[in-house]
Amino acid sequence: MTPASFRFLKAMCVAAAGSLLLVACGNNPTTSTNLASDQTLKFPILGDFGTLDPGQLSSETDSEIAQNVFNGLVKFDNNLNIVPDIASAMPTVSADGLTYTFKLRPDVTFSNGDKVTSKDVLYSWNRAAALQGGYAGNLAAIDGYDKVSANKAAGAALEKLLEANDATVTMKGLTAPDATTVQAKLSGQAGWFLSAIALEATTGMLVDQNVVKNDFDNWWTKPETLIGTGAFKMTARTPNQSVDFAAVPNWWGSPKPTLTKLHIDILGNAHSAIAAYEQGSYDIYGYGGYSNAPVDDILRIQGTANEKAQLLIHPKVRTTWVQFNLVHDSSRIAGGPFLLSGGQAAKNLRLAFALAVDKAKLATVVCHDIICQPATGGLITKGLIGYAGDNTDPLAKFDAAQAKSLLQQGDPDGSKTKNLTFTYDPNNPLNGSVAQFLQDQWQTNLGVHVNLQPVDHSAFIRGYLSGKYELARNGWQADYNHPQDWYDNLWGKIAGCPDANCGSGYDTAAYDAAVAKADAEPLSQAIPDYQAIGKMLEDDATYIPLYYSQGAFLFKPYLKGAGTNNFFDYYWDQIQILSH
Amino acid sequence: MATAAVAQAQITRLDLPAQASLWSDAWRRLKRNRLALVASIYLVLLVAVALVSIVWTPYRMSAIGVTATYAPPTAAHLLGSDELGRDILSRLMVGAQISLIVGVGTQLLVLAVGVPIGLLAGYYKGPADSIVTFIINVFYGIPDVLVAMIMVFLLGPSLTNIIIAIVVTRWMDMARLVRGQTLSLREREFVEAGRAAGARPFKMLFGHILPNALGPIIVQATFGIPAAILFESFLSFLGVGVQPPTPSWGSMANEGVQAIRYAPHMVIAPSIALSLTLMAFNFLGDGLRDALDPRSRR
Amino acid sequence: MFTRGTLIYIAQRIVLIGFTVLAVSSVVFLGIHRLPGDALFSERVRGQAYEILVHHYGLDKPLYVQYENFVVGVVTRGDLGESLVNRGVKITPLVLRELGTSVEVGGFALIFTIGLGMLLGVFAAIRQNTWLDYVLTTTSVIGYSMPNFVIAAFLILVFGIWLENVTGGEFYYQLGGWKGDIGQLWLPAFALGFPYASIVARLTRASMLEVIRQDYIRTARAKGLTELLITVRHALRNALIPVITILGPLVVGLITGSVVIENFFGIPGLGKEFAQSILNRDYYIVIGVFTMYAALVGAANLLVDLAYVVIDPRIRY
Repeated sequence: MTPASFRFLKAMCVAAAGSLLLVACGNNPTTSTNLASDQTLKFPILGDFGTLDPGQLSSETDSEIAQNVFNGLVKFDNNLNIVPDIASAMPTVSADGLTYTFKLRPDVTFSNGDKVTSKDVLYSWNRAAALQGGYAGNLAAIDGYDKVSANKAAGAALEKLLEANDATVTMKGLTAPDATTVQAKLSGQAGWFLSAIALEATTGMLVDQNVVKNDFDNWWTKPETLIGTGAFKMTARTPNQSVDFAAVPNWWGSPKPTLTKLHIDILGNAHSAIAAYEQGSYDIYGYGGYSNAPVDDILRIQGTANEKAQLLIHPKVRTTWVQFNLVHDSSRIAGGPFLLSGGQAAKNLRLAFALAVDKAKLATVVCHDIICQPATGGLITKGLIGYAGDNTDPLAKFDAAQAKSLLQQGDPDGSKTKNLTFTYDPNNPLNGSVAQFLQDQWQTNLGVHVNLQPVDHSAFIRGYLSGKYELARNGWQADYNHPQDWYDNLWGKIAGCPDANCGSGYDTAAYDAAVAKADAEPLSQAIPDYQAIGKMLEDDATYIPLYYSQGAFLFKPYLKGAGTNNFFDYYWDQIQILSH
Repeated sequence: MATAAVAQAQITRLDLPAQASLWSDAWRRLKRNRLALVASIYLVLLVAVALVSIVWTPYRMSAIGVTATYAPPTAAHLLGSDELGRDILSRLMVGAQISLIVGVGTQLLVLAVGVPIGLLAGYYKGPADSIVTFIINVFYGIPDVLVAMIMVFLLGPSLTNIIIAIVVTRWMDMARLVRGQTLSLREREFVEAGRAAGARPFKMLFGHILPNALGPIIVQATFGIPAAILFESFLSFLGVGVQPPTPSWGSMANEGVQAIRYAPHMVIAPSIALSLTLMAFNFLGDGLRDALDPRSRR
Repeated sequence: MFTRGTLIYIAQRIVLIGFTVLAVSSVVFLGIHRLPGDALFSERVRGQAYEILVHHYGLDKPLYVQYENFVVGVVTRGDLGESLVNRGVKITPLVLRELGTSVEVGGFALIFTIGLGMLLGVFAAIRQNTWLDYVLTTTSVIGYSMPNFVIAAFLILVFGIWLENVTGGEFYYQLGGWKGDIGQLWLPAFALGFPYASIVARLTRASMLEVIRQDYIRTARAKGLTELLITVRHALRNALIPVITILGPLVVGLITGSVVIENFFGIPGLGKEFAQSILNRDYYIVIGVFTMYAALVGAANLLVDLAYVVIDPRIRY
């Protein structure tokens, strides 16, 4: 996943501090005398959400909120297993693995009372595919998606087409044999299909056509028309200031929510938000996609006796690395000495730069060993399927002496490494610290001076996806626990490399073949194949691994059921406020 | 010119030594102003530190992790370390360079831009003056930090661009002052005399009016330096100042403010440096104004 | 007091403000379209979806068409457009609401500035050359020599942390707790206004000294408290004029300072919105904020000019 569009998905639940409270799927009876009389949860976020339309959203904050308002056929539970949600049971899969048949629960309703039928699934998925929002690709495995993804209609025009079941916006592989059955025929084997449609708050989620058709683009902006199947609905919104939710009465799902209301404040400043939390104004800090608390506050809280236990440091599913520009052609204007076409000499340079960075020191100095840990097991984050194992990545080693000798071999007269620039987006303050650290390391351990170039985030993304930078920061946050999420989006023809939407430009025949094979296999079979792909990237020295991120959360001790896994905040329907 | 000498002599007071031009008079008065004296000594020391820091600082200012992060002051690190374990004293010294460059640089440009505009507007009056006054008022109507932020975004956050942004938003002070001075000076007898003698406007402006307006201009420039340094610290605080690893007192103060609850020492050093420097320039400006004011009784 | 001539003048000024606001909006609109980076593009939203978004906001139309739509929208409907980052959020109600918040905090800061500033200036003038005078003068120099965020940080350190037990320690903005809540308002207002209070103090002191000579004060003091008060009031009236003169730039200065202070305290006003929008590259909001500021400055200047009429009956328009 991306550094910018933060989305938590699944991974293993790592029990951390004692404040992490596990809820066993709703069957944890709490006597009503324990519960506080005011079941209103309050927490802050640091920026307003962009959109709550499942067909459009792609950022972490958006999904952490929307996941409580919308449901899909299947979902990830707290332990990141895929379980049925609107579907009454897991789908039956045909023998050839191409047809998934879902049966829907008969009791599912939208918060406005509209009953959910298979028609709604078709409408929602076709709409999402036609909208081509951030996660439309989740539906890419379905037969007919390619045609729909070429749709250019929007707004009311698109709604007309959808209502008419126009062929240009209807995936032919998606059918509804009856009101409670949905059948999805895939265009080819795809072991990742279920994970993709389980992804919370995105394109697999159901929206109510009765509501959407009246205001195709902005139906989600008003409390009256933000209608979903989730346990909560929006009751008030003041943009850039606050937003309120309330539990949906007689909700069809489980566990039935204990919270009656939610109040989310939009503050601008992490320090003041944490201070307000400490003073009792908020129950949680870190929900809503803002678990990157400032390090000094974390250190301070760790040193405060009566607050220490409220702090939870939890691995996220994001890896950050340095990418080299590996391809130079008419559309990738940055050249640089690291090109694949430079053969062994260029590879030596890449290795030199990689070995010259002390990753352990980076984690200690920049992250204080709290908010990140060195990435020693490949680019797929530790804890995810496809992780290669601790200390298996040769590029993660630190060896200044060898780095220097490799530099000598690759660039004896120093001309190739003159005037290099490392580009980064300063929007996240950690990026600036990391950039300065890297510059210092290369200066100290290699004697090479690298310029720093901060570029604003969206320009930066555009830039590195089109090959404008010889050295740049890169990162990915996993969407779901499947290596396909990484290998299909970052390298190879399937991601668009070398020329379209590709950071490093890396694309080899071997890579393309290996990825195609692994993607078609069921996951259990595919794992060794994916491991081999990871090794391919290591052998070609395509990156410098830096760190895996960790998030910081604060939970008041009187909360039950609040917590997080590597991917997402626990759903609000599990949270209970005890009397305090 | 004879009339000028006569005018000068009339200003001279009876209780002063016979040989006293405006400048030596001012200098004497300035020397007697204790605050201004102390301020000047401080500034001289500051310039010295800035010059020294070009070739030497206790540690390399961008060296990360020379000590533990957020470390309070110790013998080895007199001002402690920041969030990346860098020595604050070294960064403070280099920051002095930045502050002085910004302060003096902006004012030099402001002089180059504002003085000619003010002179021309005040001397020729009429439509040229109206246009200039209108432009000045428009610039005054727009909050400067906002314009500067946008400009730095447009051009990129380099020291040069920051100086340009500050000059663009603050040149009006100088232009307005010079215009006012010119307007009043042009009515004085020596100007009339000069015109009668056939002197060309250029000579009038730069030979006669400007030298007489020099006093307030210098005072304005001296006050403009701390204003520019303050402005830069605002921009740094908002994240559009000089980029890392270059330290400016403003960005150091910003980092310190972020960590104020955990490591208060980080904010104290740059804040004091900023405040002392700004105060020094302000006291010096006060002193210069009193010294150069011919109506002063001291 | 408000003659027909004055009313006509007010009407003219309001029209002028309208034009100025439009001019500022236009300049910002046209200038901002050259800024790098745009809020719509993100790693996930590229290609097809990006094109659709661009079309939705009308950014694919030629610049002059966009500008035309913008001007028509502003003049006829007061519609400043839609936020680029937060879809579906209309900008006009957003900035109007934030304008109210900023004006509340800024207004308090202004009252504090002028009130405290003049008070200190008067005291310094009456006690000229005593230790009180020196203390006040030095304090005022420190006041306008320190960046306001440093003042704010130290205030938080002292009142919010070291004296937490005494004051209750709640100094960060509590949403919904502002209106009339002096307890939380005073710290940011103080930090915002203190530099300008210092300037006002110096101005007042200097102006009072010009009007009243020391022996006059001494005589008045010797004659009794009432005499002193009359003298001071008389001098104060004249001292008001330079203060009102700088009121225009003072408002602009408070706006400048509010960008930093609002960010620091998390106050949801225009200053915080501006800083955030610039960082988010939400240009439409930036244009909206500038428009509000232009209107605010115009209104402030108009009020200042009208204040002259009240203060000095000789002034007529």
